[in-house]
Amino acid sequence: MSEPILELTGLNKSFGPVHVLHDVDFTVRAGEVTALVGDNGAGKSTLVKCVAGIHPMDSGAVHFNGERVSISGPRDAADLGIEVVYQDLALADNLDIVQNMFLGRERGSGWLLDEAAMEQAARETLASLSVRTVKSVRTPVSALSGGQRQTVAIAKSVLWESKVVLLDEPTAALGVAQTRQVLDLVRRLAEQGLGVVLISHNMADVFSVADRIATLYLGRMVADVSTRDVTHAQVVELITAGRSGDLGLARPENATV
Amino acid sequence: MTSTPTAGARPDEVRRHNRTALLRRLHVGGPCTRAALAIELGLNRSTIKALVDGLAESGVVSERVPRARSGAGRPSLLVLPEPLAAVVLAVDIRVEQVAIALVGLGGQLLGRDSWNLRGRAGEPAEIITRIIESTRLLAEELDVRMVAAGVSVPGVVRRGDGYVHEAPNLKWTDVPLGDRLTGAFGVPVRVGNDAEIAALAEHLRGAAKGSLDAVYVAADIGVGGGVISDGTTLRGTAGYVGELGHMVVNPDGRPCYCGSHGCWETEVGELALCRALDLPEHSPRGVVVAELRGLTATQITTTLGDFTRWLTMGLITIVNVFGPELVVLGDLFTALPPPLVAQVATTIAERSLVSRAIGGTRLVTSTMGTDAKLIGAAELAFESVLDTV
Repeated sequence: MSEPILELTGLNKSFGPVHVLHDVDFTVRAGEVTALVGDNGAGKSTLVKCVAGIHPMDSGAVHFNGERVSISGPRDAADLGIEVVYQDLALADNLDIVQNMFLGRERGSGWLLDEAAMEQAARETLASLSVRTVKSVRTPVSALSGGQRQTVAIAKSVLWESKVVLLDEPTAALGVAQTRQVLDLVRRLAEQGLGVVLISHNMADVFSVADRIATLYLGRMVADVSTRDVTHAQVVELITAGRSGDLGLARPENATV
Repeated sequence: MTSTPTAGARPDEVRRHNRTALLRRLHVGGPCTRAALAIELGLNRSTIKALVDGLAESGVVSERVPRARSGAGRPSLLVLPEPLAAVVLAVDIRVEQVAIALVGLGGQLLGRDSWNLRGRAGEPAEIITRIIESTRLLAEELDVRMVAAGVSVPGVVRRGDGYVHEAPNLKWTDVPLGDRLTGAFGVPVRVGNDAEIAALAEHLRGAAKGSLDAVYVAADIGVGGGVISDGTTLRGTAGYVGELGHMVVNPDGRPCYCGSHGCWETEVGELALCRALDLPEHSPRGVVVAELRGLTATQITTTLGDFTRWLTMGLITIVNVFGPELVVLGDLFTALPPPLVAQVATTIAERSLVSRAIGGTRLVTSTMGTDAKLIGAAELAFESVLDTV
């Protein structure tokens, strides 16, 4: 068995006096969907933004593919092969699918963009994910449905041969049917051998795709368990109380009633 | 066709036959010019025109002037199947997950869904309920109405009514799957063995396209195979062919759930691969794929040495028994490192006398990956609807 693709150890992050993440350990394995769950304010998004290089970490070590790395900006994360898909469908509305997928990394030489090559690559990527719901890759993104936009955002990470994809509530803005199609895509990403992190509030979503569930509670990683070993109720307890039976935070020895 | 060879065919029957043949050609082969259709089907141009006009009128095909012209003269019109003219449901029930897709005429996947099976979710009633619910949701979202359904099951299935006798890896016995789904959807439902269905997909749209004698071998938790012999699927009595994974290769091997010992799938199935790679059994598929991709050349020979030997041994037997010109490796086998596949192919060419006799059986990996069963299930459904669209 090889090293985890991404491993964070002892991560701390404060915003001024607010200590958001306390000694968080987090691992992502290639080929697995790891769900990152937790209540509002538990630190899920902060953790993702630290990995993506948006927030600098106060302390902690990052190992990528077994090697110690430092992520000091979004560029570093992208160079390592870490891609983030945000819940607010972060695509440029006025551009078409191809332009969005290549935004900031356009192909071509000098003044001239190689439109044909980019269009071809975009089409092949969508086909490799068997995404055929999009009629033309030259459709402006503003004309796409929420599910299709999220699909394009996810396909982008495949196009750039990312190793790890972090999805911050990719289905929060979608209806039930579209949510399912996006989750199906998420699962197929992992089956291709990518490490996938899915942040979600929806337990049904988590249980239908995730292989492992990592729970944050008030900035602490309280459990990292296989989906096989836990029930819905246990995960909800972990999210709300930080413990469930033997899982999670240790019970205080002398609890005051 | 109902006519027997001795009875003459009436003109309307001939017309109907030609219409179905033309539709099947467009469905499987994709867009095609009228001129090419006439040549391929061996029909008169005016017959083709009449058929295409009829189909276009009922909205099953559309016609367009081709973008790239060849030669002088008036360009022949390109005939395209209309995906929404006939939409079928494809269901792929696997050991650890279920996938569904709505597929349009021409084989276009219109939308899909899938979910993991864990604990109670694996019970037949749960699976059937979820399939029905998810399909309704997907059909509503895409705003389509389906006309038939095809289902792939890893087990022994009665063709007539889709009754699943035994699907051991799912722990199913005697499930009237076909009846339950027909009752819920009100459309014809056909159920088939997964390997046979995937072989159909490979034969129609994949690596075995145009090959008359081919064997498809795929690994999931179990290992199964489908045989295309002389251009059609080899079925055996009541359609129970396909348990290639239960060839006994190692009499001293591990016990298999089928009651035997040392079946081929206990040596080359997903669990065997997990053991060889030192992963926990039932690791997620992606983990196995990632692990295989990360292997170096020396690791391939050391960690997968035994696996390669068993794979080769089984494949040699298969080639010797069925004499295919092509063997397609599917599903998890598509993730095997290319050097390993090349080595297996070389050994087969050396050791199999049938392969030597027919000038070398080719060994290729499927390009459909894990979707072969889903695509095949759609084709199974289309088989019954092309003559009624």
